[in-house]
Amino acid sequence: MNLKPRVCLEIEGDLVAAATGDAEPGAVRRVEHHIDACASCRGEFRRYREIDGVVGALRRAPAAAESVARAREGLESRLADLRSRLVSYRVFPSPLGHILIARSEHGVSLVEYLGEHTDLGASRLRRVTGVEPQEDGTEIEALYRELLEYLRGDRIRLDWTLDLRLARSDFHRTVLRATAAIPYGAVTSYAGIATEIGKPAATRAVAQALRWNPLPIVVPCHRIIGTSGALTGYAGNQIGLKQRLLAVEGIRAVGTRDDSRVARDTLYHYDRNDLHEYCLPTCGDIARRPIGPVTLLASRELAGALGLVPCTSCRPDLHPLSA
Amino acid sequence: MWRARWPFHIRAAAVSQTMMGAQPFETVVGAHHAEIYRYIRRVTSRATEAEDLSQETFLRAYRAYRTLGPEANVRAWLFAIATNLTRNYFRAEKRRRAALLAASVERREADPEGPEDEARFGEAKMLLESTVRGLPLKQRLAFIMRKIHDLDYEAIGRSLDCSAESARAHVFQALRKIRLSLNGHELPPETSLTHMERPR
Repeated sequence: MNLKPRVCLEIEGDLVAAATGDAEPGAVRRVEHHIDACASCRGEFRRYREIDGVVGALRRAPAAAESVARAREGLESRLADLRSRLVSYRVFPSPLGHILIARSEHGVSLVEYLGEHTDLGASRLRRVTGVEPQEDGTEIEALYRELLEYLRGDRIRLDWTLDLRLARSDFHRTVLRATAAIPYGAVTSYAGIATEIGKPAATRAVAQALRWNPLPIVVPCHRIIGTSGALTGYAGNQIGLKQRLLAVEGIRAVGTRDDSRVARDTLYHYDRNDLHEYCLPTCGDIARRPIGPVTLLASRELAGALGLVPCTSCRPDLHPLSA
Repeated sequence: MWRARWPFHIRAAAVSQTMMGAQPFETVVGAHHAEIYRYIRRVTSRATEAEDLSQETFLRAYRAYRTLGPEANVRAWLFAIATNLTRNYFRAEKRRRAALLAASVERREADPEGPEDEARFGEAKMLLESTVRGLPLKQRLAFIMRKIHDLDYEAIGRSLDCSAESARAHVFQALRKIRLSLNGHELPPETSLTHMERPR
């Protein structure tokens, strides 16, 4: 078979490339030069060009359009399914221990205290069905930076779009939405939230919903305490975290670890009234009224931002509480 | 009125169900799905496999899409994913039923081609198709990526985990085999005089 002269064997690669439109200009010139003199390679060259013509016909032949469309349709539905399942996450160190932040394409879906742990195994994401967790830094990094600023007290808002699908029921989501509306530096009670969502008897259910809050800090369940001012629970049994989060916002707690309560005498009080007046804790018996109906406020600036005006009898504007 | 009832009109966080980000992936699907489907269809010769593997290609791509650099060549990247999946598929398939991988299983669908092409190339084209189906997998993949989809050798090399030079050698070997298997068959004479300058 190998009866071809060596020069023909050597140029075969370039010849095939040139004949099928795939060669460098230099190679094309070499091939043209060679086939001018070599009849057998000229034949080969022509043959390869014919083959290239058939390949061209193959390129032009469209695959049946309806099967492409069917595959596309199937893809769209599988993609939609994947999108709804995919959650990207990352674990970061923070002053409150390791924190996992996760987001779906709808928004941030999970903020989780992992304590000492740094891996997905310790996370709720592992146990939730219908979720495909995927570690992904870039997008979550920005959220993390904002969260750190928040924990340092350098930021008072986390304007994150939230995905509440990890909440356990629509009732829980209702509670979380009401909780998300409580502003920085304000404190209310579980009973207050229950009243807010139109279910005044559901105090315990509200507490339960917040126990499963998938978005602590962002949905500020730490701003919700007992009607008496007791901090009650947080993140399992981590009252310390609740104290620290409240302290960042200028709300102090006093008492022991097992019996800590908000220091009401350091906070402004707002009891609903038609004049929208807020008071000093020394105004009448306001400091003894239950939290819930009464909202506690860390600063006069906050009261002003909420559209409240100083009470005309206790005059918080003239006698500000010392910070 | 509600303000007196509950002063929380300053929202601490926006709770929303609106879709965020990731929209551009729709454009990736729109621009490349049909071609990737056709590529896999041609390599596997089967509609069901092409459907499944092309979907799998885009599901993988979606998972990694956000990590892709802004200047990445999305098309070459998709071809690399599709090529990988296809090779894995053949590996698994080989294990499952080595014998059944004959080149003849294609259930041909009627391709609505121009009558002119059909008349001139009909038989030659079928011959070429069956030769391509009989090529070793790497040569077949390289040949189809280069000659049907016009990918450059760098991209083909990346898809096949080899150098651009090896990719070129695969295509060369494929063409040689096609040349041999078409030996003695009458082919339509070349018509395109400009194809030596075909864009590369």
